[in-house]
Amino acid sequence: MGFREYLAKRIIVSFLVIFLVATLNFLIFIVYPADPTRYLLDPQLARTPGLVDVIRDQYGLNEPLHVKYVKYLGNMFSFGILPPHFGYSFQTHDFVANEMAWRMPLTILLLGLALVGNVIIGIPLGIFAASRRGTKTDVAVIGAGLFTYGVPTFFVQLLMILFFISFVYQTYGIKIFPAGGWISYPNPEGLINVMGDILWHMALPALTLVVAGFAGWALYTRNMLVDALTQDYVATARAKGLSERTILFKHAFKSIHPQVATLLTLSLPGLVTGAIITETIFGLEGVGKWYLSSLDRSNPDFPVVQAVLFVVATLVVVCNLVADLLYGVLDPRIRVGQRR
Amino acid sequence: MELLKLQNLKMYYGTLRGDVRAVDDISFTMEKKDTVGLAGESGCGKTSAMLAILRLQPPNAKVSGEILFQGKNLLKMSDSEFRKNIRWKKISTIFQGAMNALHPTLRVGDQITEAILAHESRSKQEATEIAGKLFDLVGIGSERLDRYSHELSGGMKQRTMIAMSLACNPELIIADEPTTALDVIIEAQVLKVMKELQEKLGLSMIVISHDLSMIAETCNKAAIMYAGKIVEFGGIVKVFTEPLHPYTQKLIAAFPSILGSMRELASISGFPPDLLSPPPACRFHPRCPYAMNICRKEEPRYIEADQNRYVACHLVSR
Repeated sequence: MGFREYLAKRIIVSFLVIFLVATLNFLIFIVYPADPTRYLLDPQLARTPGLVDVIRDQYGLNEPLHVKYVKYLGNMFSFGILPPHFGYSFQTHDFVANEMAWRMPLTILLLGLALVGNVIIGIPLGIFAASRRGTKTDVAVIGAGLFTYGVPTFFVQLLMILFFISFVYQTYGIKIFPAGGWISYPNPEGLINVMGDILWHMALPALTLVVAGFAGWALYTRNMLVDALTQDYVATARAKGLSERTILFKHAFKSIHPQVATLLTLSLPGLVTGAIITETIFGLEGVGKWYLSSLDRSNPDFPVVQAVLFVVATLVVVCNLVADLLYGVLDPRIRVGQRR
Repeated sequence: MELLKLQNLKMYYGTLRGDVRAVDDISFTMEKKDTVGLAGESGCGKTSAMLAILRLQPPNAKVSGEILFQGKNLLKMSDSEFRKNIRWKKISTIFQGAMNALHPTLRVGDQITEAILAHESRSKQEATEIAGKLFDLVGIGSERLDRYSHELSGGMKQRTMIAMSLACNPELIIADEPTTALDVIIEAQVLKVMKELQEKLGLSMIVISHDLSMIAETCNKAAIMYAGKIVEFGGIVKVFTEPLHPYTQKLIAAFPSILGSMRELASISGFPPDLLSPPPACRFHPRCPYAMNICRKEEPRYIEADQNRYVACHLVSR
């Protein structure tokens, strides 16, 4: 099997998975006993004959199931670019795609900062611990890793809010971080000031995610590396008289590149779900908070929920595909259909 | 002058249950161009002895005694001096290449050139030329330098290991079970390569194996190890034709011969001892058919029974 056939096959399978997720998303809100007309209309007006049907017509709720399904699929697979742009949000009556478009950058910024922080602190720390395996440094990293793995992220976040806001700011008047939100009021003037202000607001939430996450990354890296360091080829490298540095980076760390890359790629979707809690706690108007607020039990904003679920599912599938392809790039043993 | 002289070398692994005496007071001497076969059953300390010479022992191992290499005690050298001046440059190894000894994601050529570049001031291009010549020498062909180890067969991996061991023209090569994971045909090919190189380059080697026929074929001296001790050492023909120690006799009797009459193979009754608490006095006495009272009370000394012929047995020293 050549690489092209392999890639084509993987893309078709990925597409089928996304299609199935989309179908499930559709079915959930068919069986879900929520009728948007109930909260779109004043209860008094709802008694007006015909009015409910007008509303239902407007939102396409009166069409037969198969027509709804086909329209829904077209809507999803155009990724909000073509009308009707993921449909109308029941809360704001705006296109869901528009709402998503201005929230997405904030979420990406938050998660990007957190991921970069985790990786540039966690991975070197893991390498450091592995190079000193069995020492107190190593034990400290393992301990910290297990601890932060066990403590829920939101708990770390609440503690850090308590410290930086209630203690440092409110008791001593030192404003290191803003108390919440994603931009100051009144908004600062000028693009650079606005960006700086947004970054300042992102700093504490991102920091909490790094505090809660970096030791886990360090632990993963450390464990994979310690395993690699016991392999025979590391003994060969050592017998060759290479420096410990070369052995650690060129031989041991290079052999775990595929796993690290996989971990990195597959952590992206997980971060999105993590954003739900973080954005809610810090009052950031990102996709996560928006998604949670659309999940009201009695009147879910289902076009929003469907769109977010669809985008996240696509992200998961794409990340999996990328991880598989990256593995092949980094590990010559599993390169598919390579010919010489 | 001797190339390598082990004197009272000991290596104990510290464990929670006590010290495992993997190498317990071994001594032997080898000259330049000698090939010494280190033989014995699994767990007798052959590989531990090799690790001690290469200073690759795990952190819980305690090494004592003397390893004199060209007159210098390797155990007294600093780590960085040993790494820069001895490893691969003077003493290199042939690990079991068919297993995991080659890096999975580095090209085999690069694995050879990095050894050259670490010890000699050469350009990358010169190093690649040397690696290519070595590949031609062991019969793989320099065009395979850009392969990964998984793209080579078991025999080719083992030849790669051999080529790699020659990269810096070492004074001594230690081969640890160089043919163990190979089938007999490939084994014969690898042995042929090793013998040719020995003749062509005048190599000094230590070959570690439990395969006596392979040792008989490649070595001119043999050291037979049992339970962490060398029980017999001497010229290969003498050791194989007139073994002095009962263990050596048993070991040779347990091996089939293609030539000569058919006979039932003898086995050695009992089990190899636990090196945490080996039998007192002579360690072979529980399995020895000639065991005497003194064997249970007193450890036999390792004596020179004949010229360059050493043995540790009360039968001989009496």
